[in-house]
Amino acid sequence: MRPNFLHHLHPPTIPARQARLRYTLAAGGLAVFLSLILLVTGLLEMFYYIPTPDQAAASIQTLTFLVPYGGLVRNLHYWSAQFLVIVTLVHFLRVVFTGAYAAPRRFNYLLGMGLLVLAVLLDFTGYVLRWDEGIRWALVTGTNLVKSIPLIGNALYMMLVGGTQPGPATLIRFYGWHIFGLALAAGILVAWHIFRVRRDGGIAVPPPPLREDQRRITRFELVRREVLAMLLAATALLLLSAFAPAPLAATITASAPVSETARAPWFFLWVQQMLKLGNPFFWGVVVPLAVLVLISLIPYIFPKPAKPELGRWFPKSNRLAQAVALFILLAIITLTLLALLPAS
Amino acid sequence: MSNRTLSRRDFLKLASAAILALSGLLGLEGLFRFLTTQTEPLPPTEFDLGPASNYPPGSRTLLADIPALLLHTQSGFSAISLVCTHLGCTVESKPEGFACPCHGSRFDLQGNVTRGPAEKSLHSLRTGITSDGKLHVYTN
Amino acid sequence: MRRYLFLAASFSLLLGLLITAWQESRHPKPIALTPTLTGKVEYCLSCHGDLPEISKSHPVQTFGCVLCHGGEPLALDANLAHSTMRGGKNPSDFSVVQASCAGSNCHSGTAEDFRNHIQRATTSIQATYAGAIANIRYTFGVQPDLKARLGIFSVQVSQSTSGITALAAFDPTQETNPYVKAFGQNCLTCHLSAQPLPGSEYFRFTGCSACHTPTQSPDRTNTEQVQSSQIHKLTTSISYTQCDTCHNRGNYDLRTITFKPRQDHPADRLHDYYQPIAQFTSCEWKLDCVDCHTRTEAMGDGNLYSVKKDIQYIQCKTCHGTLTDLPQTRTLTDPNDLAFRLATLNPVIDLKLGDTILVTEKDEPLWNIRVLPDGTYELFGKADNQRYVFRPVKGSACTQDPARQDSGSCHECHSVER
Repeated sequence: MRPNFLHHLHPPTIPARQARLRYTLAAGGLAVFLSLILLVTGLLEMFYYIPTPDQAAASIQTLTFLVPYGGLVRNLHYWSAQFLVIVTLVHFLRVVFTGAYAAPRRFNYLLGMGLLVLAVLLDFTGYVLRWDEGIRWALVTGTNLVKSIPLIGNALYMMLVGGTQPGPATLIRFYGWHIFGLALAAGILVAWHIFRVRRDGGIAVPPPPLREDQRRITRFELVRREVLAMLLAATALLLLSAFAPAPLAATITASAPVSETARAPWFFLWVQQMLKLGNPFFWGVVVPLAVLVLISLIPYIFPKPAKPELGRWFPKSNRLAQAVALFILLAIITLTLLALLPAS
Repeated sequence: MSNRTLSRRDFLKLASAAILALSGLLGLEGLFRFLTTQTEPLPPTEFDLGPASNYPPGSRTLLADIPALLLHTQSGFSAISLVCTHLGCTVESKPEGFACPCHGSRFDLQGNVTRGPAEKSLHSLRTGITSDGKLHVYTN
Repeated sequence: MRRYLFLAASFSLLLGLLITAWQESRHPKPIALTPTLTGKVEYCLSCHGDLPEISKSHPVQTFGCVLCHGGEPLALDANLAHSTMRGGKNPSDFSVVQASCAGSNCHSGTAEDFRNHIQRATTSIQATYAGAIANIRYTFGVQPDLKARLGIFSVQVSQSTSGITALAAFDPTQETNPYVKAFGQNCLTCHLSAQPLPGSEYFRFTGCSACHTPTQSPDRTNTEQVQSSQIHKLTTSISYTQCDTCHNRGNYDLRTITFKPRQDHPADRLHDYYQPIAQFTSCEWKLDCVDCHTRTEAMGDGNLYSVKKDIQYIQCKTCHGTLTDLPQTRTLTDPNDLAFRLATLNPVIDLKLGDTILVTEKDEPLWNIRVLPDGTYELFGKADNQRYVFRPVKGSACTQDPARQDSGSCHECHSVER
C-alpha cells in the first residue's frame, strides 16, 4: 500500500528488538495518545467552563452533573492528565535505564525534560482551575513559594498572580497558561522532540556491526501496533473514567471551615513533605530545582553507556546514572508516601 | 583585510544585531510592565465589625474574611491574624492554640510558634473603636 | 494472529463504550427547580423529589431547598451536594439559624411587631438555660444572688427590661465547685441547643425545630407514627408530646446532681401528660400546652431573664377571668391583625372580621378562643382541633377569696384525680 501522512511520520523501518513492548513500555507513544485525548476533551470542557471565581466551580458542577456525558469528558481529561505525568516519568526512567540519552541524543533528552516540566505545570494549572476548597491551600502556598525567591520573587509573584493575593486575575492567568501558553509550548516541544528522535537516528540501538539481531519491522507494522495500543489504552481510559470520578469540592468561600488535612496535588506531595522541615525557599524552590537540574545533567556529567550496550535495559556501562535516577525516584516516592500519612 | 579592523560587512552585521538586541530589551521591558500590572483593587486593610457590644467579654469570634480571631478579654479587644507565617495557609483555632493543616506548624494561644516549620509568631492585628462604637480591625 | 488481536481490541473498545453508556444512564436524571425567591436553578429534587412539602408557608416552588438548607445546588453527587449544607439535617440549629431563617422578610423582622423570632428565641430562657445555671450556682455559693450571669452561649441584647443585657458562656471546665461541674456534665440535656438524651421519648431536634418539627406522635400509643430523623415538617400545631420531650420527663436530684427519669409507664393521655407528682386541672391535660402558653412565653420577648417566672404569665384567670372581671377581649376589625395570620397558619378556627377573641394581659391574641353571643367562649384545640365551650368565673358558683385569684388557688378545688 502507499504510505499515508501518518506512515510518513514514522521511519521506513525500525529495529524489531527495540520495537517490542517490553523494551519501550509504549511510554512515549502513550504520552502522545494521552496528549491528543487531553486536547479534544479540553476543547469540549471549554464549551462549559467559566473562568471567574464565582462561576468556576459551579460551571464544573454543571458540566459534570447536568450535561450528558459531561462527567465522562471531565473524568477522561482528569485521568489522561494524571496518567500523562506518570507515563512521561516512565518514559524518562526508561530512557535513563536503557542509556538512550547519550550523544547525539543529549539535546533531545533536554527537550524531554522540558516536556516533563510542562506536563507537571499543565497538571497544576488545570488543578487550580477548579477553584474549589480542595485546591485553595495549594494555590496559596504555591504562589507564596514563588514570592519567597529573593530579588525577583515579588515580580514573579505579580506576573503569576496578577495582584497581591490570589483572586480573579490569578484564575484568568492560570486559564491562559493552561489552555494556551503551556499547551502551545508543549505542542512545539512535542513536535521538536519527535523530529529529533528521527534526526538522531531513531530509537537508540548499537551500530549495525555490533547488533546481535538485525531484524526490522516496517512503518506499516509499527503503525498497526500503535493503533492496537491506542485501542486498548482508550478502552482502559474509558472504563476508568466511567467509574472513577475526578475530584470536586464546593467553591472557595472565605468562611469555609479549614479542613484537617490540606493536601497538595499528588505530584507535589513530595514537596509538601519537604516543606514541613523548615525554610520555604530552600525546601520548596531550591531543592526541587536542584533535583531537576541534576537529572537534566545526567547525559552530561555521568559516564555515557557503551555503544554495544545500547538498546537494552540496565546496561552495565551507565550504572552510576541509573543508580542516581533510582535513588531520586525512591526518595520522591518515600516523601510522597510520608506525606500521605495522617498528621500527628 | 587585516584581523584587527572590522570590515564594513561585519560592522553592519554587528550594528544590526545590536539594534535588534536593544529592541528585544525594550520589548522585554514593555512585556514586564504588561505582565505585572494589577487590575484588581487592593484587598481591604480595615474591617468594620459592627457594634463593639456584639462581642461581649469572654467571647472568641472567628472573623473568616480577614482571617483573624477576635478576643474580648479583661484587658480589652485583641485580634490575632490566622495567616500562617510559613506559607500563608489559614490556621485552625484549637483549645491549646492554633494548628496549620498545610505543613504542621503549631502556635500557642498568644500566637507564638511552638513547633515549626514556621519561624515567626502569628501577627497581632491592631483594633480600634470608632466614635460611634463600631469595632475596627486593621491588617496593616 | 494480529488480525484476531485487532478484532478483540476493537470489540473491547465497543464494549467499553457500551458500559460507559450504561453507567451514564444510571446517573440520577436532573430535575430542575428555579424557586421564585432566588431565581437560581437547583437540582435537589433529582433525588429528593418524594420529600413532602415542609409546610404551607414554605412552598418549595417559592423557596426551593438551598435558601434554607444551603448545599451545592448544581451537584448530583450526594457527598458534594450536601457538603455545604448548614446544620446537617437541621438548618434551624442556633449555630446556623441566622444564615438559614433570618432576613427582614423572613424570621428576623422588626421587633416592634414581635416578628424578630430569631432574636427572641435565641435569647429566651429555653435557649439560654440561664435560670437553671443561675439557680445551681447560687445554691452552691458560687454567685451571690439569683441574677443570671451565664447562659449556654454568650449572648447580649441592646436593651432589656430585666436589667440584664449580656450573658457570658457557661463553661463547666472553668467552674471550681464540684457540684456545679457535675451539673455541667449531667444536667445540660434540655436546652434548645442540646442533643436529646437517648430514648424515643426524648427524641427531638435542636433550635427552632425542637418545637416546630413534630418528632413525637400526638397519640403516644400509636407507635406507627414516624419517630425518625427523616421528618421534613414545620408546624405551629404543636402537640403536648413535643413539649414533653423535655418537660415532665423526670426530676433532678440536687444531692447527687443527676437526672432521675420518671418510672411510670402511662397508657393514656391523663397519666402520660404530667409526672405522678404534678397537680393540674382537667383543661391542663385535655388541652395542649400551646393552647394556653403563648408565643411570648415559649419564645421569649427579646429580653434576657434570670428565671422562668419572669416570662411565664398565663394564669387560669387569663381565659376564665376572676370573680369580678371577665377575661380581656379584642374585636377583630383589622384584616392585618396578627390573629388572622396565626389562624391561617393553623386553621382550627374560621376567624372572620368582626369576631371577638380573648387576649392576654400582655395583649397577645388567644386567637383560638372566640366569644360566643351568649357570653360563653369556644376554644378550638391548636393541636387536635377539639372544640370546647367554657364559662367565665364571674357569675359562677366559685367561692374563692376575691383577693386570691392565682392559678395555685384554683388548683385547690379543681385539680384532677389520676
